[in-house]
Amino acid sequence: MQGFALYPFDPPGDVAALRAELRAWLAVNQPQGDIVARANCWASFDADFSRALGAAGYVGMTLPKQYGGGDRHPLERYVVIEELLAAGAPVGAHWIADRQTGPLILRYGSEDQRQRYLPGIAKGELYACIGLSEPGAGSDLAAVRTTARETAEGWRINGQKIWTTGAHFSHIMLALVRTEEGSERNAGLSQLLIDLDTPGITIRPIIDMAGNHDFNEVFFDDVLVPHGTLVGMRGQGWQQVTAELGLERSGPERYLSSQALLAALIDAAGAEPDPAVAVLIGELTAEMWTLRQLSMSTAAKLAAGEDPMVEASVVKELGNAFEQDMPRRVQAIVDCPWGDPGDLGRLLRALLIASPSFSLRGGTREVIRGIIARGLGLR
Amino acid sequence: MSAAREMLCDTARAVFAEAATAGIAPVEEAGFALLLVPEGDGGFGGDWGDVNAVLQIAGVAVPDLPVAALIAGEALQPAAIVSLMAGAMGKALALSIEHVNTRQQFGRPLGKFQAVQQSLAVIACEVRAVEAAAAALAARLDAVELDAAAADFEIAAAKLRANRAVGVVTAIAHQVHGAIGFTAEYELNRVTIPLMRWRGEHGNDAYWAAKLGRQVAGFGGRGLWEALTAR
Ligand SMILES: Cc1cc2nc3c(=O)[nH]c(=O)nc-3n(C[C@H](O)[C@H](O)[C@H](O)COP(=O)(O)OP(=O)(O)OC[C@H]3O[C@@H](n4cnc5c(N)ncnc54)[C@H](O)[C@@H]3O)c2cc1C
Repeated sequence: MQGFALYPFDPPGDVAALRAELRAWLAVNQPQGDIVARANCWASFDADFSRALGAAGYVGMTLPKQYGGGDRHPLERYVVIEELLAAGAPVGAHWIADRQTGPLILRYGSEDQRQRYLPGIAKGELYACIGLSEPGAGSDLAAVRTTARETAEGWRINGQKIWTTGAHFSHIMLALVRTEEGSERNAGLSQLLIDLDTPGITIRPIIDMAGNHDFNEVFFDDVLVPHGTLVGMRGQGWQQVTAELGLERSGPERYLSSQALLAALIDAAGAEPDPAVAVLIGELTAEMWTLRQLSMSTAAKLAAGEDPMVEASVVKELGNAFEQDMPRRVQAIVDCPWGDPGDLGRLLRALLIASPSFSLRGGTREVIRGIIARGLGLR
Repeated sequence: MSAAREMLCDTARAVFAEAATAGIAPVEEAGFALLLVPEGDGGFGGDWGDVNAVLQIAGVAVPDLPVAALIAGEALQPAAIVSLMAGAMGKALALSIEHVNTRQQFGRPLGKFQAVQQSLAVIACEVRAVEAAAAALAARLDAVELDAAAADFEIAAAKLRANRAVGVVTAIAHQVHGAIGFTAEYELNRVTIPLMRWRGEHGNDAYWAAKLGRQVAGFGGRGLWEALTAR
């Protein structure tokens, strides 16, 4: 990782017009729900909103037209998602399908899988979840033990996934499973695209410390799925997942989830802010501006067909730190009782409680720093 | 990087190497004062992207010479110093990587210890952030034809971000070097001492944070996003 070249963020077409159209659309269509739902909004589920967004052409934007997509450039999609996040729009229902499952199906999936799933994803109606973690396989993902055995009728799956965000509302799970008997570590793994209404699958909620039901345990008890559920190459699951994680880690959601709190802080401070608050706003703004540059550059590198694994990890690491720091620093400076009913107080409380998860989901801080260290040539 | 800029950087490296012992004269003779002067006026017609590249080299090779003042006017000095800082931080990181890969303790290179790896990942993030800030500031300055007032937001954000990185980068770079990094002879201090100095020059953290904070307060919460995306 010698030297950092800033990839110019240069989407085709009229970006200002794209932003203006979307902002006008949001002014009419964004639900005026609870302010707290605007923070961490890529975890906010709203099926009607997702469907409307899909109908307006803002989901599955980069998928080809023949599969119901918009044939748009990845950086046009980037502009759209940063606007949605900055507005705090409830994009949680379709978020994972749009961000990673759709592109992965396009890249590795069979023609049959593409025709079957991509149009629903692009409509904002078909939701996906990510089946990686297991009770014995967290940071050490290569310890995955859920098995799929090939039989005459199809794949027979046994095992358990855990922490699966959105499994309770998703239609499909892209699961990493061990298809090769006796295989170890990152060899012998494959990805299966599993319809979650298949008999033998049990989904149980896990309530998080904020009291929300976002993630789940998913049990597979002799589940039979067709041969055609294999995605990509048998035994290449590890390589495919690694590519998927690149999409998962590099996006603007890694620094924009707490935008609502920064906006509330600025509004509460008023035009003539207290000096200590002005300093805090200045420092948070400088960090956010820098993160946006890093994130856009990483997106541009990804769009150019290169692998920004290390850059994506830098964005995630700094973005997570920024977002965990922000509510703590706001609390340290602004006098705001725990039960404060105002926007700022409620957002602050919600983000203080949500923030420990930021450096866990999508790869822990230690794992991410390990990837960066490998990029430096240390491992 | 364009071929022209590569050539410019090669020249800068050669000239600054000479200047490291001879002083500012070779830099003046090589015409660096004309870098931003339009070709029509007998200059090189360079842009701030060129200045950013040249000053990152100067920040390592000749941190004590007034190269930035030779190239740009007073209003652009805070921007210039960000480039010097980005260069010096890149060098601190490179020296740290080299050191932990060669210095052995407990029978292995230091870089094989996870605690050391994680520390270096932290400074790598800071260095990338400052490099990105310097590059984005350059893009803005070039878009507004070097009008410092029109790039006031970016100058404040980039200088503040660079300032904040100094503490982390110098602390970790020195920590992983051990005692050798604390010697006058070893070259680490030739970038870390200038970094400490630059943090306080042309606006320390408090100065830029208050200025930027007041500007953003004027934008309002939603206005900040609109301003960011309009620039
Ligand atoms: C909100 C949320 C949503 C999630 N959604 C999903 C999802 O949709 N799908 C999915 O598959 N997973 C999901 N996860 C799981 C997530 O990927 C894991 O939590 C993560 O990979 C860490 O695994 P673990 O929780 O088992 O922690 P562990 O692996 O047990 O780690 C605990 C701590 O030890 C550290 N550690 C572990 N190994 C090492 C090592 N070798 N060196 C140094 N430190 C180490 C870790 O960094 C961490 O700090 C989600 C998690 C959260 C919090």
